[in-house]
Amino acid sequence: MNRLIIPSIAVVLFYLEPVFGLFSPLDIGGEYRFLIPRFLIMYLIFISIYYSRNRAMLYALLFGLLYDVFFIDIIGLYSFLYPLMCLIASFIVKYIHQHLIVTTIMSLILIAGLEFVLYYFFSFIGLRDMSLQIFVRERLIPTMIANSIFLVVLGWAFKYVINARMLQRLNQPN
Amino acid sequence: MPQFFSNKRLILLLVGVIFLVALISFTLRDRDHASLPEQIIKDVVGFGQSIFSKPTQYITGVFDNVDSLLNTYEENKRLKSRLEEFAKLQADVNDLASENTRLREIVDKKDDLRDYEPIQATVIARNPDQWEEKVILDRGTVHGVKKNMAVITAQGLIGKIKLTTPLTSTVELLSTQDPNYRVSAMVAGQNEVFGLIEGYDEKRKELILKRIDSNIKIEKGQKIMSSGLGGIFPKGLLIGEITEVTTDDFGLTKLAYVKPAAEFALLDHVMIAKRSMVTIDGTDGEDSTTKEEDES
Repeated sequence: MNRLIIPSIAVVLFYLEPVFGLFSPLDIGGEYRFLIPRFLIMYLIFISIYYSRNRAMLYALLFGLLYDVFFIDIIGLYSFLYPLMCLIASFIVKYIHQHLIVTTIMSLILIAGLEFVLYYFFSFIGLRDMSLQIFVRERLIPTMIANSIFLVVLGWAFKYVINARMLQRLNQPN
Repeated sequence: MPQFFSNKRLILLLVGVIFLVALISFTLRDRDHASLPEQIIKDVVGFGQSIFSKPTQYITGVFDNVDSLLNTYEENKRLKSRLEEFAKLQADVNDLASENTRLREIVDKKDDLRDYEPIQATVIARNPDQWEEKVILDRGTVHGVKKNMAVITAQGLIGKIKLTTPLTSTVELLSTQDPNYRVSAMVAGQNEVFGLIEGYDEKRKELILKRIDSNIKIEKGQKIMSSGLGGIFPKGLLIGEITEVTTDDFGLTKLAYVKPAAEFALLDHVMIAKRSMVTIDGTDGEDSTTKEEDES
């Protein structure tokens, strides 16, 4: 397996996020539901758990910066939050069992935390004026549902790829 | 967690946080241009993004086609009933257009606020976290796109250009919450009534048209168009239709809720309206006093 496989999956996920973003907001019963794809950060959390924390934080910083520059135009927001999520994940994982189901649930909890931080950040700088109740109903719940489907479907594949690469690295240290 | 709080790491973390907060506050200001490294990143990422989004749009296009094929019979029936009406309308429009050009020739007036060159563009990404209402297009300054130009779909106005790089441009949609976002608009009718589109009511999913003279009567169902008086937008781009008229908070001017004509979800192909007549530097409908302050 090529050593570029892990970063190239991250690149693909980075580009897939806005493509899924094009389908949102979904109009269900006269109300908009925002499905926010968080594929990349979930993958990075997996790298941080199963592969290497430092590598995960490096990727998180890099992709967070790209995300900030390309989409948000507020540099420093995601490039801070992404590595922070990886750091928190690597600390929590020392105290829990590294089973796939446990790590999936933990990633989803971290995503929910990320959404809350972003909600408070955008309310604070005044770009959005949205009540907590509407935020939970229109954004958080649909986002969590969409992302948990994604992670349940592809989580094992992430783990498989990362583990395969890990084994390969252990077998030929250079 | 003793190892986490070792001195070196703590200092590194603090310096990092301070640096990032400084960067955030620097980039939060209303900037006119993206800096050079930003432009380079945006163009490179935008190129990759268009590789990913074009096939997706092709696939959704196929689904759309199948969908419209299924509705063909219904639609055909409805359209046939309107065909006769349309032919009459067409004749009227032709008549009026030729009369208009003739009259223009008589008064020797060549420029028209309504004229614009459309620049075709494809939406390559929508801001995935959707806190701000932004989409990114695959046309930039090399194609003649400038800041604050109007962006339209076949249905009507959807937003204006907020930031440009050589190969991409960022559009802020009309449904934004940005308090500085204004579009000078008019109520189309016998006599034109001017106002400003200011703000978006998220619950009603409608735009708010403010600062309408309270002596003038406007009604539900009237069409709202861009007035072209802001300096950059062409005149006559459809924005929407009035659904309710009330007075504003102070009771001095009228306020109308406008249902947008264009859909803001599932955007794919859009047009950037480049006005043929001389444009004026500034934002469409921006307060002139703040502009002067900025420059002085």
